[in-house]
Amino acid sequence: MAIAKAERLMNLALCLMNTARPLSKRELRASIEAYRELDGGSDEAFNRMFERDKDDLRELGLIIETAEGGDDEVGYLARRDRNRLPEVALDAEEAAALGLAAKVWQQARLAEAASGALQKLRAAGVPFGEDASDGHLGALEPRIPAHEAAFEPLMIAARDRRPVSFDYRRSNAAQAESRLVEPWALECWRGHWYLAGWDRGRKDVRVFRLSRITSRVRTRSGAFSTEVPDHVDVREAVARWGGEGATSTARIRLRRGAGYPLRAKALETAPVDAEWDELEIPYGHGLDAWLVEFGPDVVVLEPAELRADVVDRLRAVAKG
Amino acid sequence: MANAIDQTRRMLSLVTYLRERPGARVSEVARAFGITDAELIADLNVLPMCGTSFRGGDLLDIDTDGERIWWHNVDDVAQPLRLAADEATALLVAARAVATLPGLRESDRQALLRATAKLEAAAGEAARGSSRLSVTFEAEGSVFADVDRAISERRRLRITYYSPGRDAMTTREVDPIRLFTVGHTYFEAWCRLSEDRRMFRLDRVADIELLDEQADPPPVELRDLSQGLVQPSAEDPEVVVEVGPGGRWVAEYYSHDTAEELPDGGLRITLRAADPMGLRRLALRLGRDGRVVSPPELVDGAREAAESALAAYGG
Repeated sequence: MAIAKAERLMNLALCLMNTARPLSKRELRASIEAYRELDGGSDEAFNRMFERDKDDLRELGLIIETAEGGDDEVGYLARRDRNRLPEVALDAEEAAALGLAAKVWQQARLAEAASGALQKLRAAGVPFGEDASDGHLGALEPRIPAHEAAFEPLMIAARDRRPVSFDYRRSNAAQAESRLVEPWALECWRGHWYLAGWDRGRKDVRVFRLSRITSRVRTRSGAFSTEVPDHVDVREAVARWGGEGATSTARIRLRRGAGYPLRAKALETAPVDAEWDELEIPYGHGLDAWLVEFGPDVVVLEPAELRADVVDRLRAVAKG
Repeated sequence: MANAIDQTRRMLSLVTYLRERPGARVSEVARAFGITDAELIADLNVLPMCGTSFRGGDLLDIDTDGERIWWHNVDDVAQPLRLAADEATALLVAARAVATLPGLRESDRQALLRATAKLEAAAGEAARGSSRLSVTFEAEGSVFADVDRAISERRRLRITYYSPGRDAMTTREVDPIRLFTVGHTYFEAWCRLSEDRRMFRLDRVADIELLDEQADPPPVELRDLSQGLVQPSAEDPEVVVEVGPGGRWVAEYYSHDTAEELPDGGLRITLRAADPMGLRRLALRLGRDGRVVSPPELVDGAREAAESALAAYGG
């Protein structure tokens, strides 16, 4: 039976951490049983496996250096001082709060990364409680969802600063279009993930909603052509599109007792008669569609443009 | 099969952890690492196959009788390892997000902020990528505080709540069970008006009052919310909506049974709703971008509402 991968990785990690001098590939291949047992034993198969294993250990945080070995061969080692976790002096209260925050991820990769980090901290002596699944943050159970398939590849590409391509369907478009993007940052807002980045085709900053990515995300070769800004405000861009960055106001009549969310946003409310109130509300993108939802309980007074949009929408529904 | 990378990460931490704890109990170590006893035993079966140097012949001599763990040649083979970029990101992004929750106890928030700062310092370079991800929770501060208090003091609440489906406010007494955040913040409660469990979104609570009566919710099994908040039942009436390309967002916002592609780039969406008339708002909102196909009372209800709204504009 082939030796399990975890055993192979563990052996490689311990070898690299417990050597004082760089070890050549030849030495590592001779000393780790899983490499010795490699079927066929071709150099190519070993090289492929060795490269992959090094990448996997680097994913776990191990810094593996290459250096000249003894016999003019390239050697590898993981120096202790560079790989040691510096002291993290958390008290019990701080450790408890951090342990609970770590549980909010529902995305598998980040949930595993968070619990792996806690295990490292625990091994380093951070005083977590005895039970890793214990406790709660007040009455709240915060959860960060990430069901979108595009999430993980985009997170890795943003981390490694690699351009990506994917098919994207804008909310009102029939067909998806291929986009080539330098991913800068991901943000979760109101339970949905968004990507902000430089769209090479459109030569501008764009925000994408992950659930509208219709293809696999492909990582492209090459580096970013743009400087990543220190602060990328994804939420501001999404909120503006969602009608929260109103630039002017509208006046409407609203039936008494109806439209609580409109009242909650109103800048001014005054009764008209026994049945109606008049409201002044912020006018931003998407207000027409929202007002139509209230049917006969809302009448738009001005501006004329909004009134026309609402009437147009109502006519479409009345026609059936 | 367990993921080999996660298992390797765990075993590296394990050898550091066990070094300080001769004769550690299997069940206690498993709990501390957040794994089952069986998973820990599987790790302990791998460790004796691991050598500690390239010269060979120096395998880890770790064994267990199923109850306690013994390491006979204890050595300094591993050390607390620096955090990987993903590990630092996962912890820091989560900690920063949770620290923004309005309902968090102030002492917890302060502890979390201190922990975050120390962790950033310890992670060093690995923490850099964490600025690439961010999460914002939203919770209405004052309503949150009252619900939180009602839960911890087991008290009943009177709320005035807005139902978007009916565009109406109702006042009801509820016994709160739990608070949770999935995008928006909600609380689940036993509603004494409908005599059933209900979810309430905090930003739709127009008014809230903490009552002196004890809350007395019947025992309910807490649902796993990871599959979505709205989990319609198979007995709920079926609603069919056809949308053009501009109405495809409906499939993103409404959990549905099926969404068939239509030749014009639109979708035919079939979903279930306990009260189909609650979807009248959707029917009105669609405009030229789509229409409800069934049930007939929803089709007629939307058309009549539109006609009567048009009357106010002179036809």
